[in-house]
Amino acid sequence: MTPAEHPAPDLDLLAAIGQVDPPDPGVLDAARETLWSAVAEEMLGGTVAEARTRGTDRDQAEHHHREHPGP
Amino acid sequence: MRVDTDSVLIERSIYGRPDAFTEVVRRHEVAVHGFLARRAGRQVADDLLAEVWLRAFAGRGGYDPGRPDARPWLYGIARNVLRLHWRKDRDDAHHAVTDSHDPWDDVVDRLDSTARAGALLPAVRALPPDERDVLLLVAWEQLTPAEAAEVLGIPQGTARSRLHRARAALRPVLARTGHAEEDT
Repeated sequence: MTPAEHPAPDLDLLAAIGQVDPPDPGVLDAARETLWSAVAEEMLGGTVAEARTRGTDRDQAEHHHREHPGP
Repeated sequence: MRVDTDSVLIERSIYGRPDAFTEVVRRHEVAVHGFLARRAGRQVADDLLAEVWLRAFAGRGGYDPGRPDARPWLYGIARNVLRLHWRKDRDDAHHAVTDSHDPWDDVVDRLDSTARAGALLPAVRALPPDERDVLLLVAWEQLTPAEAAEVLGIPQGTARSRLHRARAALRPVLARTGHAEEDT
């Protein structure tokens, strides 16, 4: 953040009333657990990059089929 | 020791190491929870945090690798999750869905009563919502105007203009409380 972009002191009061207590660790853990389920599912089922490649291959095959329909 | 940027971790999570994304979450989970809690209350923040991570993980293929800090991107996702939450709340209450719903009234209700007694919150409430959005991203989340623009999906110049107008509108109120300084 450049000095010109740093929040100015005149916003300190507004910043102060926006203070909230940190979340309970259990809340963070539970949210991470949910994410981990999605991560594990992807690790078992293939990566986004592979899915991208598969999608690209499929798109190209479909394009080829449209351009060169078989008998 | 070199610390990988968020963008490096996200790229890694796309290409073979999905678990790398969990480090991005660890870095920003308190900040994202705070973003949600300031706007919708602690209980709602607790409920919606996992939804933000799932949407971010599912959408990470669209992350701009040129942005090393993922916070603005995550706040943008959290903002969308909040909007869907508020819309569902209205649907559940059998109210018509309009884009004019302003959650600021709920925010004021939750804030400290001492602060509420002052003139600041009514002045913030009176701001146009698009100016208030930029102001609060800068004041509450400590983002730069450029980062706030990224969250909101608007040009940087527009974010700067909105911030300037919001601060100009608040300056007389802040001057009375002894918090005003010259705009930078």
